[in-house]
Amino acid sequence: MEILTGNELASGATVYLDANGNWGEDLQAARLFGPEDKAARDDALARTKATLRILSVEIEKVSVVGGRIVPERLRERIRATGSTAPVFDRQHLGENDHVSI
Amino acid sequence: MYRYDEFDAGFVKARADQFRDQVNRRLRGELNEDQFRPLRLMNGLYLQLHAYMFRIAVPYGTLNSRQMRKLAYIARTYDRGYGHFTTRTNIQFNWPKLVDVPDIIDHLNSVEMHSIQTSGNCIRNVTVDQFAGAAADEIIDPRPVAEIIRQWSSLHPEFSYLPRKFKIALIGAPSDRAAIKFHDIGLKAVTNGAGEIGWEVWVGGGLGRTPMIAKLINSYVPHRDLLAYLESILRVYNRYGRRDNKFKARIKILVHEEGLETIKGQVEAEFAAIRGGVLTLPQEELDRIAAYFADPPFREQPITTIDVAKARILEPAYGRFLDNNLNAHRVPGYVSVTISLKPIGKPPGDISTSQMEAVADLAERYSFDELRATHEQNLVLPHVAIADLRAVYDGLVAAGLESGNAGEITDIICCPGLDFCALANARSIPIAEELSRKFAAPERQKEIGELKIKISGCINACGHHHVGHIGILGVEKKGGELYQITVGGDGTENAAIGKILGPGFEAEQVPDAVERLIDAYIARRETADEPFIAAFRRLGEAPFKEALYGNG
Repeated sequence: MEILTGNELASGATVYLDANGNWGEDLQAARLFGPEDKAARDDALARTKATLRILSVEIEKVSVVGGRIVPERLRERIRATGSTAPVFDRQHLGENDHVSI
Repeated sequence: MYRYDEFDAGFVKARADQFRDQVNRRLRGELNEDQFRPLRLMNGLYLQLHAYMFRIAVPYGTLNSRQMRKLAYIARTYDRGYGHFTTRTNIQFNWPKLVDVPDIIDHLNSVEMHSIQTSGNCIRNVTVDQFAGAAADEIIDPRPVAEIIRQWSSLHPEFSYLPRKFKIALIGAPSDRAAIKFHDIGLKAVTNGAGEIGWEVWVGGGLGRTPMIAKLINSYVPHRDLLAYLESILRVYNRYGRRDNKFKARIKILVHEEGLETIKGQVEAEFAAIRGGVLTLPQEELDRIAAYFADPPFREQPITTIDVAKARILEPAYGRFLDNNLNAHRVPGYVSVTISLKPIGKPPGDISTSQMEAVADLAERYSFDELRATHEQNLVLPHVAIADLRAVYDGLVAAGLESGNAGEITDIICCPGLDFCALANARSIPIAEELSRKFAAPERQKEIGELKIKISGCINACGHHHVGHIGILGVEKKGGELYQITVGGDGTENAAIGKILGPGFEAEQVPDAVERLIDAYIARRETADEPFIAAFRRLGEAPFKEALYGNG
């Protein structure tokens, strides 16, 4: 399975595309794309690019473990939670930083 | 220290206004990211894993208290209450928001700082020995020439789009504390037969995925010709450096592939054409810049005796600080004090806002308002009267900055790694913290003696692992982290690149692996005074390889 992730322009915060076409902070709300969803995924990528507000968009491989989305790469697990040393909460979106496609 | 004149102030103000407009246009959607990215990078603004990262230039590592307090203000107001000093003597903030960056730059400009050329394929921040202008072994203070190089290289029209980034370091003493042989150009002050001071020029050094020790391209260039000579090297690099492959674009590859003699011939031809022209540095201009770095009003000090042996017994922490954190000063009665940013179990190079303010206070009160950032991610109070040492130490204790571990095994260099950096493959800070905890006991650190551990989270080597006596490189393997250990690197005048002795280790195995290296060293050293690196050179790889991997 795959998800789409990136960083929001104003805050730089890590965001995920959800099933409603909103880019938000919640990894667990991320839309899952299967092999049959390639066209939908590519359409979402194109719509996202057109907003100009999501940077470094990447397609990330994930697993669903016990009903939870778990990125396969350690890098993505760190992005989802914040730094491990020193421990800091992740960056959050500002009030006006919500992006929808 | 150097003070901006009207030109400098107008220059950075214009640049700040320009970037504010660019940010506003980006936020309004008038620029896309492909257009904006090179503009933000030219102003030191990266996008990392969690947020933007903003890198601020600290030219040749020199700061005053006003600047340090402003950094604290920025960290408190726009970031998360701390800053991170880098191996290029810059400072980074990990959590700024794009909309705030123009205001941050205005604040920096108000104290004569900026972020220009802290990224991009240009000439980066020029670095020098952290004890410049103070060290007892120095033949010349390299900062005036470093400042002239900074002015020459800032927005140099020919060198704003080099094949790759370009780093210059200077040392004014025989002991290389600036790692000049691992820079694109390294400059070392030397004296010619007539007793005149000039510069030995080394070229083509670097770390990264292809570590190289610089080669001597000219054994003596006088001050007046230095800019013309540097310009000649940069022109040859700009013309012939590879632009087809990012990983082969540094000048070290050009020198390696073409050969030193070929490059030298090209540089000499260019030098012959421009020598004596507009880049000639008049002595009056050198004197004018040098005046900014004139001695502070040192006072004749009464003879102050500190009973270090007694301090070691009655106040071991203070005794250890006196043993490790002082450097001989050229003026009697003074020393330079290293402020370690390596407390046990904490990220190397990090400093909180309250600590920044405490350090600023100490600099203002006890070091003629001067501070230095070091490429080993520490700070220095360059001019402290010996009579004031106790007060300085007490001030550091109050700020939690009294670690007396400078030069010891827990004085670790470490890049931000996968916790922050978009390029990293593995975390490096947790490895540094674990090693720091493992070797925390002062007695154990003293037993080990001088030892430099350097850790990088990827092959780009920002943590200088190639020149660690023990180097650690994090790599990705099967979605996890693995750490290669190198031994025998040295960033000083005895430059050497560490060797990989065998397969990598899981993160939790690294502290024990390092301890086995240490135990092998202690068991085989000739005396307690023989440093790790000297023992390695004498013994060779075999006993260390056996310590890591056994006899099999």
